[in-house]
Amino acid sequence: MLIDIQSLRLQIDGTPVLRDVNLSVDKGEIYGLLGPNGAGKSTTIAVALGLRQSDAGSVRVLGVDPRVDSEAVHAQTGVLPEQGGFYDWMTARDYLDFFARLYGKEYDAAALSVRLEQVGLDPALTRAIGAYSRGMKQRLGLARALLPEPRLLILDEPTNGLDPRGRREIHDLLIDLSANRNVGILLCTHLLDDVDRLCHRIGILVEGQTVAQGAIAELLRAGNQPSRFRLRLTGPPSAEVPGVVRVVAQEGEWWVVDIEPGVLPDAAWRQLLFSGWPVTEIHRAGGGLEDLYLTLSERRAA
Amino acid sequence: MNMLRVVLIVLACAGSAAAGTAQAGGLSVSLAPLASNPSSPQMGDRLAFHSVIRNDGAAPVTGIIAWISLVQVDPGREQPVDLEDWNAHKAVTVGNLAPGQAIVTDWPMRLIQSGHYRVVISAVNREAGGLIASPFVEFAVRRKPVVESQRVLPVAFGIPLAIAGLILWRRWRSS
Amino acid sequence: MNSMILLARKEGGELLMSGRGLGWLLALSAILSVFGLLLVSNTELSLLDNAQVVYDMAGLVTALGALLAVVMGADAVAGERERGTLVPLMLTPMPRNRILLGKVGGQLIAWSVMYLLALPYLWAVGSTGQNLADAMLVVALLGTPVVLAFGFLAMGLGARFAGVRGTLLTSLIVLLLSASPLLLGPSLRQSVIGKVFDAVNPFSGAMNAYDAVIIDSQALSAQALHIGAILAWLGLMLWFASSSFRRAAQ
Repeated sequence: MLIDIQSLRLQIDGTPVLRDVNLSVDKGEIYGLLGPNGAGKSTTIAVALGLRQSDAGSVRVLGVDPRVDSEAVHAQTGVLPEQGGFYDWMTARDYLDFFARLYGKEYDAAALSVRLEQVGLDPALTRAIGAYSRGMKQRLGLARALLPEPRLLILDEPTNGLDPRGRREIHDLLIDLSANRNVGILLCTHLLDDVDRLCHRIGILVEGQTVAQGAIAELLRAGNQPSRFRLRLTGPPSAEVPGVVRVVAQEGEWWVVDIEPGVLPDAAWRQLLFSGWPVTEIHRAGGGLEDLYLTLSERRAA
Repeated sequence: MNMLRVVLIVLACAGSAAAGTAQAGGLSVSLAPLASNPSSPQMGDRLAFHSVIRNDGAAPVTGIIAWISLVQVDPGREQPVDLEDWNAHKAVTVGNLAPGQAIVTDWPMRLIQSGHYRVVISAVNREAGGLIASPFVEFAVRRKPVVESQRVLPVAFGIPLAIAGLILWRRWRSS
Repeated sequence: MNSMILLARKEGGELLMSGRGLGWLLALSAILSVFGLLLVSNTELSLLDNAQVVYDMAGLVTALGALLAVVMGADAVAGERERGTLVPLMLTPMPRNRILLGKVGGQLIAWSVMYLLALPYLWAVGSTGQNLADAMLVVALLGTPVVLAFGFLAMGLGARFAGVRGTLLTSLIVLLLSASPLLLGPSLRQSVIGKVFDAVNPFSGAMNAYDAVIIDSQALSAQALHIGAILAWLGLMLWFASSSFRRAAQ
């Protein structure tokens, strides 16, 4: 386990900020940490990185207690905080070169170019960072996080400020890192589409407490949340498929269906296709992760 | 006879004036610039003044304090001058000066500021009811530039301009 | 390259390569230039005033150096925390005390730049040459610890306060308090409280040493008491900055 947090508690100025946080990230896994603003996500990450001391609970990151040896954690962890943290007067190359040396790495010009290209930045760019767009800064922050060739990545809103193409590029990069280089990734984001596409497992934090943790499909099943989808059919469905999907509404070519609880979406689509449904497009239409998240956070707040 | 005494006193006074001497109550104070003083001194030069305080009376004079004073007399800027940095030797004291005895003192002075000045030696003693002052010695001090514009101007304008140039170059490079 | 030196170069480089840093240097040089031009335009300066002028210029350089150190010190911790640049630094494998020492190195580079900038001004106004070389030496030897001490104070306050504004305000108040004896008349400085304050105040210590060396032509070695007080103050401020920075949370 790259991150193993159990029963984490922390008070700040007498106010409980973390009440009972449990979280684990394994090698090659993308873990999504969700929660409303003020839930304690950033504080949990700060504890994991040794920037804050907890009052109770156990924290192990890369096999080390970050309170005791935070430098060992930092040497193998790449972090992209929510606030980028750039020196506006430097160029991207100078910035990466500076941080690479702080990580004890020496990259020549060609290697720095590769790092910049990896995140979609033009290596020939000579403008100071102060002139960059938000999306460019975000890419640069990701490049900085990858400098130590980390075993663990902690990313806070990594696709913030990126256009759809940029978001897709970053997604592909993260999937590649986790699948092919066994990097464990802890992803903090409010973009549920990103979570849906990227995360193997998620944890939902509400008021400093982990209220749910696990694979999305398992959580949906456990929460009895209907998965609602909009399907585009080129013709009427050949037959109903009871126990798999239930038709909720129809608008011309578009059919709104709920996948029955306990049925995984992939299995539902196979069944529909075998049953002869002429499906050409599938889109999520409410329910699912968003409803689960809203339900859990409202329930806790109540 | 009375006429002769008046003439003698006048002659004595005239003689005293020629040597820069003032008299009162048995004590006389004279003041003269040293012959070695520069003829046209400027700021930074050193002058010296020679004074003789003599007991011309028949009785001893006690508790003598004599000091140097300097005033600036440029029109519109008449003022006494604080001698702290001009002269380290500010006063002499003598407990008892017998008849005929004299105190000879040299008063060195460093010329700190330009202008026209008068220097005087003043003295008091226990017996006299008033101040005894020497005649003034006048001198002028020529101005000397202490902050040279040919040094300051290039630096005062050059350095800010160089930094401003660096700022502009940086902006051009990053645009 | 040693990471501490790398960080010091970055911090110092910010002064020379960022628009903000160069703007500060321009403002400081403009102040020195205005002072120099005022002196040139004053035709009534006395000979004594030349030594006085070098003394005043030395004092102005030290005061401006301390002001720059306070601004940089506040920015080094509180400012970076507000801009979000402190966290990435603290997430590198560099131990915190080395990060602090790197920032201290940046302060030293900034003061060195300031001092080199001031040397032509001291040369320009020191035309009669009274103790000019000694003036340059005493500003380097005593001005450096005074300036660094104020920088450490601002860094320590920056680690403890929430924002730059509070840090800067408090640091500037302390700087003004230190300079206040020089604004008071000599008679007030002669009172018991005035003398005690003068004795423990590092800024006063430096100015009194400048007076002794530049105007009264005393030897530098005779300023041991002033040097001792200044070094004690420097050590105290370094300890304050170090202990505050270690405790600084995210």
